[in-house]
Amino acid sequence: MTKKKSIFTQEVIVGIIVIALYFIFRGISADFGKYTTFLTLTDISYYYVLMAIGVAFPLITGGVDLSIGTGLICYALAGGYLIRAFSWPTGLAILVSILFGVAIGLANGVLVSIMGLPPFLATLCTCMITRGLGSVVTGSFAVPWPTAKQDNGWFHAIFKMTIVTADGKMKFPLGLVWIILLMLVMQFVLAHTRFGRYTIAIGSNKEAAILSGINVKFYHVMVYAVSGLFAGLASIAYAAYVPTVQPGTGAGMELDAIGGAIVGGVSASGGYGTIYGTVLGAYVIMLLKQGLPYIGLNANMQQIITGFVLIGAVVIDIIKRRAIR
Amino acid sequence: MKKNVLAVLMCAAMAGSLIAAPVFAENLSDTTAGIAQFEGLTANEAYDFQIVVKSFQSTYWQAALQGMDQAKEELGVTYTAQGPASESDIADQVNMLNSCINSTPAGVGLAACDTASVLESLQSAVDKGVPIVAFDTGIADAPEGSVVCTVVTDNSAAGSVAADKIYEAIKDKLGNGPVRVGEVNQDNYALNIQQRGLGFINRLIELAAADGFTVAMEGNEFYVNAAEGAVDGDADIILEVRVPAQTTVDLCSTEAATILDKEDTVAIFGSNQTAAEGLLAADANREVLGDTIIGVGFDAGTSIKAAVEDGTFLGAVTQSPLMMGYYCIYALTAAANGQELIDVPTDGYWYDASNMTDENIAPNLYD
Repeated sequence: MTKKKSIFTQEVIVGIIVIALYFIFRGISADFGKYTTFLTLTDISYYYVLMAIGVAFPLITGGVDLSIGTGLICYALAGGYLIRAFSWPTGLAILVSILFGVAIGLANGVLVSIMGLPPFLATLCTCMITRGLGSVVTGSFAVPWPTAKQDNGWFHAIFKMTIVTADGKMKFPLGLVWIILLMLVMQFVLAHTRFGRYTIAIGSNKEAAILSGINVKFYHVMVYAVSGLFAGLASIAYAAYVPTVQPGTGAGMELDAIGGAIVGGVSASGGYGTIYGTVLGAYVIMLLKQGLPYIGLNANMQQIITGFVLIGAVVIDIIKRRAIR
Repeated sequence: MKKNVLAVLMCAAMAGSLIAAPVFAENLSDTTAGIAQFEGLTANEAYDFQIVVKSFQSTYWQAALQGMDQAKEELGVTYTAQGPASESDIADQVNMLNSCINSTPAGVGLAACDTASVLESLQSAVDKGVPIVAFDTGIADAPEGSVVCTVVTDNSAAGSVAADKIYEAIKDKLGNGPVRVGEVNQDNYALNIQQRGLGFINRLIELAAADGFTVAMEGNEFYVNAAEGAVDGDADIILEVRVPAQTTVDLCSTEAATILDKEDTVAIFGSNQTAAEGLLAADANREVLGDTIIGVGFDAGTSIKAAVEDGTFLGAVTQSPLMMGYYCIYALTAAANGQELIDVPTDGYWYDASNMTDENIAPNLYD
């Protein structure tokens, strides 16, 4: 007799929490319910959610990628600098930012998989390197990307488009469509492709994966490359939101992304996770970040509450694992 | 070629500062006396100085270093600049400062992230005979003999100019029920931000009181408690001060958004480049600045200049980081020569779409 699977998986619960949080904040603060607040929430969420999707892969292998926060800033600085200092076309600069992310991801993968460094240590090193590298690339100076009103600022339209309606102009968070599409694609990759299955296999039982003939080293490197790729994509979303990219920042952003993935049900010790859970978890963190100031809690309180939410998510993960045993 | 352009800009800035008085000159000490002490200055040796900035986070510091480069070439001295990764990294900056002092250079130029945290280091500078020039941010309780010269904008005056402009623009809306004025300060621990923030707050309270209106404070406890003359409860102006957990644009934007979304908000002030850019990021979705809400920024940078130019911001107050950097090196050289120094207050200017190209303003509007 097979045990009937509960429909209340962590992903479903997190989905309910996202909806509940949104309406709780709306209920307490009428301003939070405004469409413009929703737009800002989506703007800020893009880079965190993209980072979370990417970092879910190393997390599922039982690793982690701490370089995505400072990496994001580094890639955005590099791309912006090419536009500002060398008049590069925006499209080419975006490509460089993304490829820069992939390169750092590959470096992480080599350090972890080939050289055998613990993921925490390897990516902590590249976290420091990218933090410094961003400053070196731009001569330590802040870099503004083109604004939406400038000719070469077309990339803003990737994330937000203006629709002319009968009542006037309206902004549509187009980035949300890309996030949903990427979520579906990466969930498919994780659940239905060889790469995804091997990612889970590495996290569940690496020795068994090696013994069954899987080229673990190669797939492990690729896992980190995916994380780097998404950090590269996130750097473009970040550049589209902030007027100036500041070197030296970014440290701590990775924790919000990792926290989102864990809240969304990615196992803190590897072997399990879903991308839709990750995205929903990232939105829990985003809602807390955006909603708590609206109900009058200062930024320090926001961090304390986010910390407690993370503890809750990890405790649920531990309880689930014990139940499986 | 680039250096020639810079030299021309520097000359224009200096000439401009003598010809056209800055908007809030009446609140400043006499800038000319501070500058006159460097007349005919030459370096007795090819000194090597250490400079510790708050960070390289904003283009503001780029302008300060440009000024330093100009001065170093004129005087035949050298300097090495360093700074922590962000203006929140107070401990990192203290470590850097300690290493600089331990290497006993000819002098150290310091823009302190947190003025209280550097006091011990400054005492060790006195013990080792290393002169310190404080620039950008003054150090109120510096040990005797440590800071030989302070090169700063009168931040309190700079903040009060923003209050003058905002009050003038919202005056007509007062008396018909409470209105809200917002202020986003990137922190509540750096002396220059504190002075600027409080300069704005206290001036607004003073202007309102002169017309028989009252101001009540809301938000960050430091600024609420330090405000002078605010009332509790009902008032004509609610002055809400927001401070993010870290000095980043996106966190400033979230704080700004909460103010912009309130129905009774009529004006908002971002008290440095990071905070002002936070206002612009929050406004990107709302498009209320320059329309229903008066926005005033601080410092320059590409996006703030564009916002002033297109009317999103009523205007902004710019300091002269170029001049601050320039005179920091001059003060360090004079101190290394053994000269007694007086402080050098540098100019700050109100700028809006109408005067951005003026000869005394334009050189200070860095990208």
